[in-house]
Parts: sequence; C-alpha cells; structure tokens
Amino acid sequence: MRWKSRSRLQPYLLLAPYLLGVSVLVFAPMLLTVVLSFTDYDIFNPPQWIGLDNYAQFFQDTRFQLALLNSLWFVLGTVAFRGIGALSLALALNRTGRAITLARATIYLPSIIPEVAYALIWLLILNPAYGPLNLALRTLGLPTFPWLQTELTARISVVVMAGFELGEGFVVMLAALQMIPHEVLEAAALDGASRVQRLRTILLPLLVPSLLLLAFRDTALSFQDSFVPALITTETGPYYATYFLPHHILSQAIGLFRYGYGAAMTVVMYVVGALLIGLQYRVLRRGNAADEI
Amino acid sequence: MKSNPTVLAPGYRFKAWLTAKRMIGRLLASLALGAVLFVFAFPLLWMCSYSLRSTDLPSPIQFELFVLPLAWDNYARVLNTLPLTRYLWNSVLVVGAAVPLTLIAASWAGLALTQVSARVRVALLLMSIALLLVPAPALWLPRFILYTRLGWINTLFALIAPALMGSSPFYVIMFYIAFARVPIDLIESAQLEGANLLQVWSRVALPLARPTLVAVAVLSFVFYWSNFIDPFLYLRSEANFTLPVGIQTLQAVMRSNWPLLMAAAVMMAAPVLVVFLLAQRLFLQGEITLARWLR
Repeated sequence: MRWKSRSRLQPYLLLAPYLLGVSVLVFAPMLLTVVLSFTDYDIFNPPQWIGLDNYAQFFQDTRFQLALLNSLWFVLGTVAFRGIGALSLALALNRTGRAITLARATIYLPSIIPEVAYALIWLLILNPAYGPLNLALRTLGLPTFPWLQTELTARISVVVMAGFELGEGFVVMLAALQMIPHEVLEAAALDGASRVQRLRTILLPLLVPSLLLLAFRDTALSFQDSFVPALITTETGPYYATYFLPHHILSQAIGLFRYGYGAAMTVVMYVVGALLIGLQYRVLRRGNAADEI
Repeated sequence: MKSNPTVLAPGYRFKAWLTAKRMIGRLLASLALGAVLFVFAFPLLWMCSYSLRSTDLPSPIQFELFVLPLAWDNYARVLNTLPLTRYLWNSVLVVGAAVPLTLIAASWAGLALTQVSARVRVALLLMSIALLLVPAPALWLPRFILYTRLGWINTLFALIAPALMGSSPFYVIMFYIAFARVPIDLIESAQLEGANLLQVWSRVALPLARPTLVAVAVLSFVFYWSNFIDPFLYLRSEANFTLPVGIQTLQAVMRSNWPLLMAAAVMMAAPVLVVFLLAQRLFLQGEITLARWLR
C-alpha cells in the first residue's frame, strides 16, 4: 500500500518544475498581459483601471498602425518566402549522394548562425559603398542600390534576410517528401503524368499538412524574427519603414513606462497571430480540396 | 520514358545527341544548384574572409574575397580591445547552468508523463503543443514586469529562468516520446526492487534515451549561446553582458571597423558551427530540426 501511494505521487513531483515553470513564465504572464491591457500602469505605482481606453488609443496612434501594417507584410512575406524556398529546395535535393549531403548542410548554414552575427554580416553585405553586393553589381556593370536607406529596398532586405533562414523548414519538407511512397509517383509517371502534373496533383496535396505546420510555426516565429534584424541593420528605418509591432511595444512600455498600453498591443499580437494561422489553414485547406476534385 | 530502339535504330548519332543533351541538362542543373548554394554559404564565407582583412587597408572598391597577407592578429586585437573575455565568461555561465537544468527538468517531465493516467497525459501533451504557438514577443513585456518584481533584472537569473521549465515544451515532448519506447517491464521491475522514480530516471530511463539527451543538449546549447533578446531586455550593466549583446554594443562603438567586428562575429558563431558540424547528421535527419524549429 505504501508503495502504491508513493508511486502515484512521484510523477507529479517530477512534473513540478515543468508545470510550475510554465505557470509562472507563460500562463501567469499571458493572464497578466490581458489584465494590464485594461489599466494605466507605469510599473512604479499600482495599475489604474481605465477600461478600454488603451484599445481606443489605437485609432489615434499612427505609429502603432504603421507598426501593425509592417508586421503584417513581414509575416506574409517571410512565411511565403520560406515556404516556397523550403519546398523547392527540398524537391531539388530529394536525392542521395555526397554532394547532396553537403548541399543540405550548406542550406542550413544561415539558420544556425547566431542572429546578432547574422544581422551584422548582412549589414556589411548591404553596405552601399563597400558591401560585396553593390561591389559585385558594379563589377558586372549593373545598377547599385542604397539597400537599407530607401523604404522599399529596406523592406525587401529584412524579408530576404529572414527568408534565407529556412533550414529548418527545408528539413521538415524533405522529411515529408521522403514519407511519400515511391509507388504513387511511379504509377502516375506510368499513366503519363508530366512532372508539373505530378507536382500539382500528387505531391502538393500530400504535402499540405507539412506546409500548414510550417506556415503556423513561421507565423508565430516571425514576430520575433522581425525584431533583431531590423534593430541591427535598418535601425527600424528609414522613416519607420521597418518598425515592427515588437519595437513599438517595447519603446512604449519599457521606454515610456506605458506598460498598460504595451500590454494592449501585446493582446493585439495574440489576436493577429491567431487570425493569420486561421487564415492560412483555410487557404491551404481550400487549395487542397480544389485539387482533389 | 525509355527510348524505343526500333524507332531510333537508324544511326547512333541521334543517341549521341541525346546523351549530349542530357549531359548539358545535368551540367546546367548542377550550375544552378551551385549558384544557390553559393548564395546560402555567402554570409558565412564573407564573415570569415572579412575578419582576416587587414584594418590598415582602405575599404574595398571592387569585389575581392581574400586580400593577402591575411591579418590573423585581428582576432588577438578584438580580444584585447573590449571586455570580450568578460562577456565570454557570462555566456559560459549561462550555458553551463541552463543546459543541465534544461536536461533535468525536461527529462523529469518527460518520464513523469509516461507514469500518469492517460487523461492527464493527453491534457498535458495538448497543453504543451498549444504553448508552442505562443509568439515569444508576447511574453517579453509581462516577463519584464515579473523579473522587475522578483529583482532579477540585471542578473543572469533572468536568462537562466526558462531552463527551470525545461526551456521548451517541445523538449519535454521529445523526452516523453523517447521514454515511451522504454519497455514498461524494465521500469516496473526496477520499481518492484524498491527503486523510486528518481532512481528509475537515472539508472534505467536516461541511459536508454541517450540520443534524445544529446539532441536536447545540442539544441539548448545553441539556443542559450545565441540568445540575444533576453540579455538585451533584462540586463543593464555591461559587466553582466553575454556575448551576443556584448557584440551589439561593440558594433555601436566601432561602427566602421568591420574586420574586427567580423572577427568578433566569427568567435561568437564558431562554437555553434562546431556543434552543428559534429551533430550535422542529427540536424539534417529531421528529429533535432523539428525540435529546434518548434522551440
């Protein structure tokens, strides 16, 4: 009897650090964010309940609107870039051989470099005067650009920078491709299906679950992935062209002691993330259904 | 798609033309692949090459990968010009505390999940999966308030704290999957011999889950070593800085001294790259990647 009762309690003792940690570091902060979003809070004095005032503020805060819009195109841009890139590279490298192994490792490289080092390298690569990109373009007699100094090119730069970090999605797609039985593709080839037809009617529908997983996770990650590259390379400029939601939250809350307002914007981030994930789910599901007909 | 010999019989020339065409196609495909790989390798390549460029040289006016002689002393100089050893020490402290804590907390929770009732297990696994979709920036602000209240701002505790929950719910799931494969007889017989669950963990379960142990160790090492956001948000004084924030500070101080900045970047990236090369097979086989990606 003693052994029984002890053994029933024991798993919960081993679970305690995890459950306690998750409660204190994830659930409590999320709850705190929602509560504080209805208050005026400067961290020194107790929060004051102000109802929906923080949310009403969104309509006047043009910088918030800009940051939200920027975050939206960044998410859509990087999710699309990484999804298409990971899929096409996985299709191209779904073979065996020593060169292929090397190629796969190379594709992973940008994803493994620490993000500060990665951003610093890009800052050098995109330098208008002596960055290798403009030097190479000049050598080839092509026009050069001040990449990080004009709005459009700065925006493209941060998306491309984040887009090349697709190593993980690439391996996920590769694994998904290898799980598709060979017989299915061979049967289609025997039936006279062309390469493009096989890709459209067989491979893509079978890959939809993996693509969905990829898109969901990249959406959640991209709020974070927008922060560091823009901070280091464009310094959120020019003229706030690469100023994203996390930048605005931190500058309002930690910079100006407007923690309640920061919390309300964080709630917006939850909602936007959830909406984007829902949207991707619907789009990819519908595409899949249309192909099956 | 095999060619029909009766149709193509007249003349080997046509066959030769076909093979030539195929060879050209293969060559073009290899070239295209080579170009793509060059683009992916380029940031790393340029970081290494620029870190060896002499600081006496003027900025380049044309594309050149290496300029001889290579300035190896850039590395010695960057070590002397800033408190890099201090940052390095802080980084080592954080990694040294966070990685073992992560392994313990995540593997405890993973083993416990195999021992609780099915209903509790499903609930906790679903919760862990849902947690993976919470965007990290959504926790920056409330954690900042929390750490301020706890007095952890400007201490390394703030950086190590997530290790107490196993760093990521996905590591817990990884350990759960590994332990679920351990034959139940082994665990039960150890328990009948009087071993408690902690002894089962250390003597039976962990030795059988070594690949997962290595994978989680590699992943959490890479995460804590590269982590920029947490020190950026929660540390104040330079004495506590870890390498990533230290190097960002360095960039603000010596804006245009790119060779030294790149040398510092190489030094920060090197341990991660070495681990990547050693564990390359793990990364490219998918399991570890999936885990890193779902962090």
